[in-house]
Amino acid sequence: MADMPSAFWSGWISVLTLTSLAGMVWLVWSVYFDRDRGHEQEAGPVWDGNLKEGERPAPMWWFWLLFGSLIFSVVYLMLFPGLGSFAGLLDWSQGSRVAESYDDYEARFAGVRAEIAEMSLAEIQNDTGLMAVAERIFRRECAACHGSEGRGQADMFPNLHDVDWQWGGEEEQIRQSIRSGRNAVMVGWEAVLGEEDIGQVGDYVLSLADGVDEDHQGKAVYDRNCAVCHGADGGGNTLLGASRLSDRIWLYGGESQDIRESLVNGRFGVMPAFDEQRLDDTQLQLILALLVR
Amino acid sequence: MNGMSLHRKIEENTGLLIFGILLVSAIGGLVQLLPILDQESLETAEANTRPYSAVELAGRDIYIREGCSVCHSQQIRPLIAEVERYGPYSRAGEFVYDRPFLWGSKRTGPDLHRIGGRYSDDWHRIHLLDPRAVVPGSIMPAYPWLARREASAAGDIAAKMSGLRRLGHPYTDEEIADAEAELEGLLEIDVLIAYLQSLGAGYAEEGS
Repeated sequence: MADMPSAFWSGWISVLTLTSLAGMVWLVWSVYFDRDRGHEQEAGPVWDGNLKEGERPAPMWWFWLLFGSLIFSVVYLMLFPGLGSFAGLLDWSQGSRVAESYDDYEARFAGVRAEIAEMSLAEIQNDTGLMAVAERIFRRECAACHGSEGRGQADMFPNLHDVDWQWGGEEEQIRQSIRSGRNAVMVGWEAVLGEEDIGQVGDYVLSLADGVDEDHQGKAVYDRNCAVCHGADGGGNTLLGASRLSDRIWLYGGESQDIRESLVNGRFGVMPAFDEQRLDDTQLQLILALLVR
Repeated sequence: MNGMSLHRKIEENTGLLIFGILLVSAIGGLVQLLPILDQESLETAEANTRPYSAVELAGRDIYIREGCSVCHSQQIRPLIAEVERYGPYSRAGEFVYDRPFLWGSKRTGPDLHRIGGRYSDDWHRIHLLDPRAVVPGSIMPAYPWLARREASAAGDIAAKMSGLRRLGHPYTDEEIADAEAELEGLLEIDVLIAYLQSLGAGYAEEGS
């Protein structure tokens, strides 16, 4: 094992430990069972005429306590790692304990997991027990950003109940959003457009929900710069994570100053990736059942 | 010749008694501490463990200044419940560039050893300035001043990096020379987030 001490230090540890143990056995033993004790006491010093060393032995239960703990130490050092690089007869280690816990855990839930793997999302959605589990997983992994009810929060993290899915609401699209994460990039347009155009484009974007207004002052600038990602009608693009602008659902707020803020400084929404370690395939399946409609 | 006579000899000879006391009290250190000083695995970085960048190092100092380690540990114990919640348990080699280490001893909040990459930078920004805005039941205090102070005001980062280099952190001359420029324009909250995002990347499961 990599973390074991070298041969020299292993010997050093073992010799010192065993010598101290032997020394303590000798000490305890000699205090209780020294045959010459009576003789020693006679020869002991006497102060002030009548003061001398007492000779009442400590109680025997104390002896058994001390001796018992010494025996325990010896047994412990034989079973568990402690004497240098000797791994102990049980071959126990912290890492192997985790591995064993995982073996038990996998064995215990293998049946349920196999069942879930066979089920379609609709079947999972009809199982109230599984959906309760899914909600708990959601609260643990997703609620910090999307809110405990999944309704989004902080004018930054998307509501998962509405129809607007920036990266697509199909099962495979959501699966990819979770497994690989998403990085939305909208750069700031202040330098390119200038103050006046930003105002007009912002106004035009807000009007897109009512349909394309051919005569709007901002339309030309929008078509030239924004339509590439967001679409000429503001329909968005789930491949790029470009928001739909025509549905009155605003991730970063729908007031004109919010739109302005987006245009001036850009927006960089990040969804972290959830790997196997954080969300295994079964857990991901349950989350998908919760999200896909 | 027997127990009592040796006992008497030690008791009546102060020098011998002092020596005996020192010897007995040194055994624990000789067995537990001395061998560790020479144990290579404790000084060898994990494959993915690297020294903190100037920005992360400045963030780490803010983490220390604000006392984050009082409520947040940075040590995931080898127990299934912790591994499931926080990620792979902490390895000794992941802390070779932590001076001082920030393991902490109490979890009022969650462990942070594998917090890096779990939340977006924006989430951390909101959460540090007003924890209740994203975690309604949170009891964590808000740290609004982090967004008002320049990161470079926290101390001489180049001097700190040269100091750490003396202790064995492999910083190049170039990295130290560029350190101050890297902090340019960053606020304390930016460098603290950079530090948080760097946590936990030092270890990767074999084969992954």
